[in-house]
Amino acid sequence: MAERSENVCCRQFFRAALGCGLVFLFVGITAFGASENSQSDSDRLPKYTEQERAHWSLQPIRRPRIPTGLEPEDRDWVANPIDAFILRKLQEKNLRPSGEAEKRTLVRRLYFDLLGLPPTPSQIDRFLEDHSAKAYERLIDRLLENPHYGERWGQHWLDVVRFAETEGFEYDRHHDEAWRFRDYVIDSFNDDKPYDQFIQEQLAGDELAAESKEQEQLIAAGFHRLGAVRRNAGNAEVAFSRNEVLTERTDVIGAAFLGLTVGCARCHDHMFDAIRQSDYYRLQGFLASTFEYDAPLADPQNHEARAAEAKKLEAEIEELRELLENANGAEEERLRAEIKAIEKTMPEPLPTIFTVRNDSEQQTVIHLLDRGDPSKRGVQLGMRTLGVLLPAGTPELASDAPYPKTMLAHWITDPQNPLTARVMVNRIWLYHFGRGLVDTPNDFGVNGTSPTHPELLDFLASKFIEGGWSIKAMHRLILTSRTYRQSSQTKDDALGWEQDPENRWLWRFSRRRLEAEEIRDSLLAVSGRLNPRAGGPSVMVPVDQELIDLLYKPEQWVVTEDRNQHDRRSIYLIAKRNLRLPFLEVFNQPDLQISCGRRDSSTHAPQALELLNGPFTNDLAKAFAGRIEREVGTSPKDQVRIAYSLTAGRAPTADEERLAIEFLKSQPLHEFALAMFNLNSFLYVD
Amino acid sequence: MLTERNEGFDWPLSKKLRHRRDFLQESFCGVGSLALASMLHEEKATAASSGNPLAPKPAHFSPAPAKSVIFLFMSGGPSHIETFDPKPLLDKLDGQSRPASFGEAKYQFVKKDAKLLGSVRRFRRCGESGLPVSDLFPLTGECIDDIAVIRSCYCDKVVHSAAQYELFSGRVMPGFPSMGSWIVYGLGSEGSSVPSYVVMPDPDGALEAGQPMYANGFLPAVYQPTMFRPGPQPVRNLGLPDGVNLAQRRKTVELIDRLNRAAGDSLDDELSARIRSYELAFRMQTEAPEIFDLSGETRETQEMYGVGVEPTDDYGRRCLMARRLVEQGVRFTVVVSGGGTGNLQWDAHKDVEENHSRMAAQVDRPIAALLTDLKQRGLLDSTLVLWGGEFGRSPEAQSGRGRDHHNLGFSMWMAGGGVKGGQAVGATDEIGLRAVEQPYHFRDVHTTILELLGLDQDELSYPHLGRNERLTLVHGAVIDQIL
Repeated sequence: MAERSENVCCRQFFRAALGCGLVFLFVGITAFGASENSQSDSDRLPKYTEQERAHWSLQPIRRPRIPTGLEPEDRDWVANPIDAFILRKLQEKNLRPSGEAEKRTLVRRLYFDLLGLPPTPSQIDRFLEDHSAKAYERLIDRLLENPHYGERWGQHWLDVVRFAETEGFEYDRHHDEAWRFRDYVIDSFNDDKPYDQFIQEQLAGDELAAESKEQEQLIAAGFHRLGAVRRNAGNAEVAFSRNEVLTERTDVIGAAFLGLTVGCARCHDHMFDAIRQSDYYRLQGFLASTFEYDAPLADPQNHEARAAEAKKLEAEIEELRELLENANGAEEERLRAEIKAIEKTMPEPLPTIFTVRNDSEQQTVIHLLDRGDPSKRGVQLGMRTLGVLLPAGTPELASDAPYPKTMLAHWITDPQNPLTARVMVNRIWLYHFGRGLVDTPNDFGVNGTSPTHPELLDFLASKFIEGGWSIKAMHRLILTSRTYRQSSQTKDDALGWEQDPENRWLWRFSRRRLEAEEIRDSLLAVSGRLNPRAGGPSVMVPVDQELIDLLYKPEQWVVTEDRNQHDRRSIYLIAKRNLRLPFLEVFNQPDLQISCGRRDSSTHAPQALELLNGPFTNDLAKAFAGRIEREVGTSPKDQVRIAYSLTAGRAPTADEERLAIEFLKSQPLHEFALAMFNLNSFLYVD
Repeated sequence: MLTERNEGFDWPLSKKLRHRRDFLQESFCGVGSLALASMLHEEKATAASSGNPLAPKPAHFSPAPAKSVIFLFMSGGPSHIETFDPKPLLDKLDGQSRPASFGEAKYQFVKKDAKLLGSVRRFRRCGESGLPVSDLFPLTGECIDDIAVIRSCYCDKVVHSAAQYELFSGRVMPGFPSMGSWIVYGLGSEGSSVPSYVVMPDPDGALEAGQPMYANGFLPAVYQPTMFRPGPQPVRNLGLPDGVNLAQRRKTVELIDRLNRAAGDSLDDELSARIRSYELAFRMQTEAPEIFDLSGETRETQEMYGVGVEPTDDYGRRCLMARRLVEQGVRFTVVVSGGGTGNLQWDAHKDVEENHSRMAAQVDRPIAALLTDLKQRGLLDSTLVLWGGEFGRSPEAQSGRGRDHHNLGFSMWMAGGGVKGGQAVGATDEIGLRAVEQPYHFRDVHTTILELLGLDQDELSYPHLGRNERLTLVHGAVIDQIL
C-alpha cells in the first residue's frame, strides 16, 4: 500500500485541530486566517434552523448496539452483526429470511458480483469440491485477489465520477490520456486503497503531488476534468464557460462524495436541503484556482520543441482559415485541402498526464451569482465547506488560502464527517444487493429516501472508518453475512411476496439482470474469445458506419488496428460521450454525462433484437459453437450440457435437455449457441 | 410475412390479445370502441403490473387534441428574415450600422462594426389569412391557413450545440431527456410493432450536439429514441444477419421462449417482461418492414412529396415515412433537415441566398405535402407539426452576404394538433433583432406542445438527484393565442 502523503502544513493543522478536540472542522480558520470581510460581516453567513440541522444524514455516525434477544433458532441464522440488524427488521415486519442458496448458485453470484464474469466449470467445481468450513471465505479471498475485481468495481466508480474520455458537445474532443485515470481507479480497487486516501487523491492529487512527486496522484486529480466541456468557436464567452466548468466540477463533488445535490443551490437556496446559495459558491471557492493541465510525461525539451512546431503549423492553418471566410467554390475546396494537409503533418502529441493544477494568477473571483448567471454578480465570497455541518458562525476562509483542494478533501474524509462513510458503504451495499439501504445513492438530503435500516447503515459506516476505510473489508463483512447468502428462489414464500414484493427488508436475495458490460464480457468469455489484457490506451471497436456518420466529426472514430484488442473487457473500450456502443447503450449503460449512482435496468424489445440479430452476438454465437465442438465433439447431449455449464453455471434440467436436443436435430449448433445467449438463466444472476 | 406469423409458433399471450383486439377493432364504430377502450385499459393494467413502461397512459387532462408530434427540425438555424418574418425597415437600412435604439446583441462571430443586411427574398401574402410567407416556401405558403407562425421565439445560447440541447431538452447542456423521451414517458406508446420515438437524421451528416441531443438522459432506457438510418433497413437489428432466414430464426426464438419457460424459475414481473419483449421484438421484425416500405404508396402521393425527384427525394421520403409512423401511433418523430458541415445545414454564415434557396428547395414541397396529406387523411387534427431550428439568424451581415447565429428573436411555426392556423403570434422589433411582443422562450414552446398533448409540465416529472425534474427548467407559459 502506498504511503499516504499529505501536505505537511495541512497535516499539522488537522492534527492540531483534531487533537484539541475541536469539533469537526473549523477548517483552518485560525491557521490560515479568515478573510476580513467575513469577520466584519457576520450577516453574510447563513443561519440554519434546528430542524435543518436535525436531518438524519447530518447526525454524527454512532456505533449502534447490535440487536440481541433473538429467538434461539434465529441465533443460528445470524452469521455476523449484519444479520442481526436485518433479522430484527424482518421480525418487526413479520417476515422470515429465506434459506441459503445452493453452493452452485453462490459461486456464480460471487463471480459476477466481484469480477463481473461467469465462473468457468472448473472454477465452479473447485468450490463445490471444497468441503471445508472455510470454503466460502476462501472463495471470497481468491476473488478479491483476482485482478478482474478492479475492473468490475472500478466500473462502478467510473459511473459515479461521470468518467468519459471525450468532452461532449460539438467537438467531443478526445483526451488521449484519460485512460490513465481509468487504470488508476482499477488499480486503486485492486490494491484496496483506503477510501479516504482515494478521495484525497482525486480531489487534491495535484496539490499532494507537488510535494510527493507521485505521478499517480496527478493522474487521480484528472477527476476534475472528467465532465463534459463546451468549447466555443468565435467570440469567446470566457466567464460563462468558466462558470459552466466550475459548476460541473462542484456538482459532481456533492453527488459523488457527499451524496448531496449541492447543484440545486446554484440559482437559489436549496429548496429542500439546508444548503444556501452562498454555501454553494463558497464550496465552489475551493476550485477557484484549479485549471486544466496536461503535465508532460516525456522530456520537457521534447515537449517544448513539439509545442513550437505545432504552434507554427497552427498559425499557418489560422491564416488559411481567415482566407476561407471569404472563399467560395474551387478556391474554398483548395483551401480546405491545404488545411487538411497541414493538419496531417501536425506532430504526434507526446504523452502527458491528464490533470489539473492551481494557477493563482488566473484564479476565478467567486461571487454569488443571481440565478446562477455569471453576468449577474452578487457579493464576493471566500471558501467554506457546507455551513449546516459547521458550528454556527464559522467564518469563511480567504479565497487565497493555500492548498484549497487539500482542505476540502480533508473535510470530506474527516472521520467526523457524517456523510462520506455513509454514502460509500451505501454504494457498496447497493452494488451487492441491487438496492441501497438508502435508495437514492447520490441524494442523502431531505428529498432522498430515508434508510430502511438506519442502524445497520451506521454500523457499516463506523466499521468502515475503524477498518481504515478498507473497501475489501466491507466486501468480506457483507458477503459473509447470511443475508447475502439467501436464496432468490422463493416462489413458495407467498407472505414475503405479498408483504414486500420489492424486497426492501431483504427476506430473500434479489435476482438481477447482468449489467451491460457484464453481458458483453461474459459473451466473450463463454465464447472463448475474451482477451483478458489489462490497462493501457482505450480501444475503439468497429461499429456500424451509419453510427459513425452520425458523429459531427466522423474522423474521430478510428478503429483499433489490432483485432485482438476488440475482444477486451468493456471497461477498456473508449468511453465517448457522443457515440456510445449500441450494445452497451441498449442494456442501460449510463449516458456518461453526469454522475450515475444507480443504473436503470429496464427491459425493452431493442434488447431482444440486439441479442437476436446484432452482429456481435451472431459473430460470437459461431465462436461459441466452435468452442463447444472443440471441447465435447458432436454429441448433442454433451453439447447441451457444456453450453449450460458455461453460460448458466449448471446442468440443464431434463426438460431443457430434451428441448435443446430436439432443436439440434434440425438446426445448426450456432443457432442453439445464440439461443443460450438469450436465456434468462444466462442473463440473470440468482 | 404477416400470414407466416402464426404457423407452428405459439405466442400464448400476444396471440390471444391480438385476436381479441382485431375483433374489437372491426366493430370499432359502436359498442366495440368502448370495449376496445376498456380492453386497452385492461391491457394497460396487465402491462403496468407486468412492468411494461411503454403501455399507453392517459393524458393528464382531456380532451387533448394532439396524439402525435412531428418535428421538422431545420438544423443550423434558418433565418426568420428570409422565411416568415418580413422586415421592411431592415430592407431600408441595408448596409448601415444598427441604430443604437435597437440595443445590443451578442453574436458568435459578427463583430460590433457589422452592417445590416436586408432580406434577400421577397414575401407574398398567402391563403385566406393573407399571412406573408417568403418565396422560399411557395408551397408551404399555400398551407398557411393551417399554420400559426410564432415570430417572437428566443433562447439562451448563440452556439449550435448548446442551443440544440436547449431546443430538445430545455437545458443548454447534454444529459437531460429530450422532449420526445418525455412525451413517450408521459403517454406511453400506442403502436406495438414500431418504436414510439423516432429520429430521422439528415443523411448528409450529423449535428453539433450529436446524439445526446435526442437522448433519454436520466429517463429509463425504454424512452430512448430510435435513430432511423438511410436505406431499406432503417432500424438497427430488425434485419436478419446474413445467411439466416426468418423461418430458421423463428425456430430459435421459439426455443428461447421454451427454454426460458422450462427453466422452472418463478416467473416474476421482470422475467415475464423479458419473455414478452421477445414477442414484441419478433412482431417488430415481421411487421415493421412493411410499415417502412414506401412502395405501397400511390404514385400521386409519392409525387406530392417529391419522392423520386431531386432535390426533394430524400426529405420527401422521410416526411412520407413520418406520416406512416403517425398512422402507427408513433408519438414523436423528428425529421431533420441539414447535417454535416455548416453550409449543409441552414447555417448560412457566408451567403444566405445560396444556402437558404438550396435548403428550402429540399423541404418546401415535402412539408406542404405532409400537411396536405395529414389533412386529407383526417390526421392533422391529432398530429402537431412543429417547424423550426435551434435559433434564427442575425440582421447583420457576416462575410458579405451571410448571417450569423441569432438567439434573441426568430420564428418557429406549428400546425395541426389543435393549433389555430392562419395567424402570426408575437413580433420581433422592426429589424428582426429582438422578440419584443409576447416573447416566447423554448420552454413556452415545450409547454404548449405538452398542453396540446394533454400533459401538464409539473405532473410530467421524474425524480432525479433530489429534484422532480421536468422538461421545462423554469416554468413555461402556454402560447394561448394559437390554441
